Amino acid sequence: MNVTKRALTGPICSERDFDQRIFAPKLAEALKQCEIKFDPDVLIPSDDGTADDLFKAAMGFYADVGTYCLDTERIIKFDEDEIKEGLRDAPSQAVFGEELDAGVLRPRQPESRELPWCFIGAGGAPVSSEEIFLSLVQAYGEINLADAVTTPELTMIDGLPIRVQTPLEIFGSIRNAILGRDALRRAGRPGLPIMNALATAASDTALIAALQPMYGLRPSDGYFVATMAELKTNYELMNKACVLTTLGARIGTLAGCVMGGYCGGPEGTALTVTAHHAHGILVNQATYHLNHPAHMKYISNSSPEMLWLISMYAQAVSRNTHLLSLNLNYTSAGSATDMALYEIAAQVITAVVSGVSIEAVGLARAVYVDHLTPIEPRFAAEVAHAAAGLKRADANEIVKALVKKYVHKIPNAPAGQRYQDCFDMRTGKPSRECVETYTRVKNELEDLGLGFKY
Amino acid sequence: MNQKQDVLDRLRAAVVAGDETKVKEIVQEAIRENVDPLEAIEKSLIPGIREVGEKFERMELFLTNMMLSADAMKAGMSLLLPRVPKDKIPKRGTVVAGTVKGDIHEIGKNVLAALLTANGFDVHDIGCDVQASAFVRKAEEVSADIIAASALMTTTLPGQKDIVDYLKSMGKREKYVVIVGGGPTTAEWAEDIGADGYAETAVDGVKLALRKLQEKK
Repeated sequence: MNVTKRALTGPICSERDFDQRIFAPKLAEALKQCEIKFDPDVLIPSDDGTADDLFKAAMGFYADVGTYCLDTERIIKFDEDEIKEGLRDAPSQAVFGEELDAGVLRPRQPESRELPWCFIGAGGAPVSSEEIFLSLVQAYGEINLADAVTTPELTMIDGLPIRVQTPLEIFGSIRNAILGRDALRRAGRPGLPIMNALATAASDTALIAALQPMYGLRPSDGYFVATMAELKTNYELMNKACVLTTLGARIGTLAGCVMGGYCGGPEGTALTVTAHHAHGILVNQATYHLNHPAHMKYISNSSPEMLWLISMYAQAVSRNTHLLSLNLNYTSAGSATDMALYEIAAQVITAVVSGVSIEAVGLARAVYVDHLTPIEPRFAAEVAHAAAGLKRADANEIVKALVKKYVHKIPNAPAGQRYQDCFDMRTGKPSRECVETYTRVKNELEDLGLGFKY
Repeated sequence: MNQKQDVLDRLRAAVVAGDETKVKEIVQEAIRENVDPLEAIEKSLIPGIREVGEKFERMELFLTNMMLSADAMKAGMSLLLPRVPKDKIPKRGTVVAGTVKGDIHEIGKNVLAALLTANGFDVHDIGCDVQASAFVRKAEEVSADIIAASALMTTTLPGQKDIVDYLKSMGKREKYVVIVGGGPTTAEWAEDIGADGYAETAVDGVKLALRKLQEKK
């Protein structure tokens, strides 16, 4: 109610003025305060003071800028005391899932040995059929290191392409919920949480329809409420947050800040992602924060600038709050390629040693239908566990070595293979080629100094 | 440096800086000094916005800078064009750009619109969540060459097909070049729906628009 009231009574402003006359100049001012600078030699900085300065500047920036409501054309504002109070009162841990499959998501610190929460699967990538959806989600559930699952997005319902804001989206979202839970039952992990509820439900209407308990979703799953780029919301997103809050469900705020867009370069993007955490707790009432910064040209977040900014925001947030923050990685390369595994390793190591947990993985920017397999999420979780406790300086050397293997290929990265082309869907077994690639890359990582536990 | 060259240089610099107020002031000064308005367009406004576009492509400047420069350039154009004889007004390609129905993501479309402006197109940005019929209505109104439709979600992609279908149903498919882009779009999708082209990035979108415009001529 408080947020809605502010959306209805806050300062009136056109969207263009918000972007150009408020967001951009205030961001430039905030950047002057913290003086952070991307350094291609130090992708994972070890300077705590810089991370703390970034956090302070980001919170001041959010107090100056607020969140723009596209429907009311007003700014939802919070002062610095309200932001401090929000940070203090935000959940410092949360139980997800049920019974034997329940787990506790806890905050982490840079270089922490605390194991990261592994929220793994499709990263919302599209699939063409219910058969593939079921097979993939069952396989995700069978990954021992999975603390939670991210399901794919259904693109078809009974032979028709799903369209947003139509009955097809409602039917598709309900089907997504039913199939997701059914697949996890088949995997023998019925209580495992689905933390991207609900990939198929872009609209508030579709999400609300799929929330009926008979379809299998529970308050102990995780529910996404997105943020528009940058620091913008609308009634549809606020409606989602409203319904989820009244049900006692756990909200995850999604922030996909675009480097090269309104945020400017890597420095401005690191600051904006950090500021989005304040938006998440105050506007979306979030329990957890999922960040997937994107490169303007490549959409993925595996380039050196993107890795640096992931490290910077992760350190700023984890050192200065108890917020439950995760990074979602998008690769340039697709499934069953060694390049995707190199990218995943670099992204996951960066996030984990910088103090956050992970969602993995959006392969090939999660664009190509059926281009995803269970191997990459399994690999991501194994890397995440291996990276816990690494020193930032050591991790920096490993990540730089990995980046050298793929950075030149980013503009023309391979799309990889479809699930049905590199896995036997009857048995769930990968092709020999897939296994060989996975084994070879793991061996290379061990040679670089990453000690796998699994 | 003579006074005319000084005015032209300052005008170009003001476009690069994205300073709309200064652009208007310098254009007024140029008019008072009897600088040829076509020369001011061709030697200051267009090179200025092109420089910004090139810097954006190299990520030396970012979206906000480019949008401010595009606004500044348009402000200068609106003062200068009425003073150019009609037969001498440089012919520019006209684009209607928007995000399709049900989709409120607009950052990619904004980048494309600004980059197209930087490359000399006359761009009509019709915003986001736009019906297929509204794309076509605007294209008819401004005699567009190209309709550029963006979609960021798999579930809004069909909105791009709706535009092609709507044009076909009106018997106007051949009148416009339809190009598509946005996160989930692919070359295969563009071909499937009968669009004229697909671009993965806004920079590619400009190259595609330039190529298609050339082919149309």
